[in-house]
Amino acid sequence: MAVATSTTVDNQPARPVVRAPRRKRPSRFTPGLVGSYALVLVYAATLVLPLYWLFISAFKSQLDAVDAPFAPTFSSGFDNLTRVWDLLNLGDAMLNSLYITAASLAVTLVIAIPAAYALARSQGRIATVFERIYALGFLIPGFAALVPTLLLAIQLDLFHTREFMILYLPASAQPLAVILLTQFMRTVPQELEESATIDGAGRFRVLRSIYLPLTMPGIATISILNFISFWNDYLYTLVIVGANAKVRTVQVALPTLQGNQGITDYALVCAGTLISVLPVFVVYAVLNRRMESALVQGALKG
Amino acid sequence: MTAILDSPVVARPGGGKKRARTRDRGLIVFALPSVVWYVLFTIGPLVAMFVVAFMDWAGLAAPASFNGADNVTRLLDDERVLTALKNTAVHLAVSLPVIMVGAFMLGYFLNLKLPGHRILRVIMFVPALISLSAMGMLFVAVLGPTGLVNSALDQVGLGAHATAWLADPTWAMPSLILVTIWSGLGLTGILFAARLSAIDDEIYAAAELDGANHWQKMWRVAYPITRDYFGVLTMLQYLWTLFGSAGMVLLLTRGGPGEATSTLAWLVYRFGFRSPEVGYSQTIGLVLFVLGIVGLVIIRRVFRARY
Repeated sequence: MAVATSTTVDNQPARPVVRAPRRKRPSRFTPGLVGSYALVLVYAATLVLPLYWLFISAFKSQLDAVDAPFAPTFSSGFDNLTRVWDLLNLGDAMLNSLYITAASLAVTLVIAIPAAYALARSQGRIATVFERIYALGFLIPGFAALVPTLLLAIQLDLFHTREFMILYLPASAQPLAVILLTQFMRTVPQELEESATIDGAGRFRVLRSIYLPLTMPGIATISILNFISFWNDYLYTLVIVGANAKVRTVQVALPTLQGNQGITDYALVCAGTLISVLPVFVVYAVLNRRMESALVQGALKG
Repeated sequence: MTAILDSPVVARPGGGKKRARTRDRGLIVFALPSVVWYVLFTIGPLVAMFVVAFMDWAGLAAPASFNGADNVTRLLDDERVLTALKNTAVHLAVSLPVIMVGAFMLGYFLNLKLPGHRILRVIMFVPALISLSAMGMLFVAVLGPTGLVNSALDQVGLGAHATAWLADPTWAMPSLILVTIWSGLGLTGILFAARLSAIDDEIYAAAELDGANHWQKMWRVAYPITRDYFGVLTMLQYLWTLFGSAGMVLLLTRGGPGEATSTLAWLVYRFGFRSPEVGYSQTIGLVLFVLGIVGLVIIRRVFRARY
């Protein structure tokens, strides 16, 4: 992405220092800037075009998909969608994905919220050690321990079950969830807790009635982030839950469309992919701003 | 439950160290489920990797036994590992600089808030939302023999150049690299935009008075200020590319054609599951892990703040 070394300078060296009210938008389009704009548009096009193609191909016949790749013909209506839904048993797959995602999310929150509270308010050495352990977690990419995790699943007699994912996914989400939430919890004024304690409230009570309501934005953030990463998880779910049609998730079901000879029916693949990305896009459409800020905050995820 | 044990009197800072300590101990119990859970399911397997790496273990169902450093000696003259090492190096050497430099400039660009920047931001988020398997299927379809790229070439009369991009020995690796860049550029760019927006306008204004153009403002003003952040994102992108290539390769090429796209991470997967030699797979995993740490240390050094 070598943006043209914009040689042209908005070069008005001896501009009299008249402090005109600063304009909010620099409207001076230098050639360098125009070139950059063009490059950004090219990249944007590579993001949008495949999605457009994916969308229209899902609604056309196999023949049209090859002969008229860019024309929205809608020649086969919803045929591809229903065909791929039945073929991959996507109804069950959606339920499996939903089950794993929702249960994992619940476990994640139930264990991360008290932990964040403890780390935010404890001044002891143990808390520092715990925080170090979590920080280490950022640097360990999940993939590194794929095989030993599988061995653990076998040991626990949970190989090829969805339940192991519900144990594993919350564990993998702890570092980010706890560290992000701890930052939110630290912003809660300590005086609130002190006065509640004096009134006789126990720690659980304090956590539930003071911290929980005040850190809702943080909880929303980690819920969104983990919804995306749990729903989208592929490699671990593939290896641990497996491709058995009864328990597999959407993400595992989808690639089975590709046989050893690659893809034969493009329209069908496009229909399947469309169905699989739809849930996240729907949530994005609803929560757009919130999701964007969540993704930016969660960037430190390894 | 533990809350009952604690005295309801709040320890004042400085006063009553002992009381503060018991208070802390009660509090830390709240963190235990999370920490134990985390150590059990993620740190534990990671430690196990160091043991399994020195085992002779044909398959998950087969018996395992230690074989000392045999796996390591085997690894040292395994052609496939050498090829994978080379492929990994190429994959990283091209995609990492392109993503980091490109994303930084993209972030600067988005931050100029030119007309259309809102919609561009939304578009840039797309790769962050799509799952690996959807991305894989999308690109298998886009790059396939009668996929989007070849159809487009056909439409503009360049049909002769059409090829099965992912099955072509010359094009498979470039395709993998392009997909990596495609998926990494957008979100990293937005992250840079978020960081760069924290820079005070006055600083840019001062540079402008000195006649600085965008290029200079980007690399002489914005970059030095955000250098540490640049380093952190480079580390994350490095790890993601190094380890994450396994899933992408599995979906796109399965290491082929021949060994053209076989990366180290892919070998870990391949020996783990496709042609099971579990012990050996983890020995390669160990190499990958060491490469990860060495890379992190180097990147940290390079981007250490220089004041």
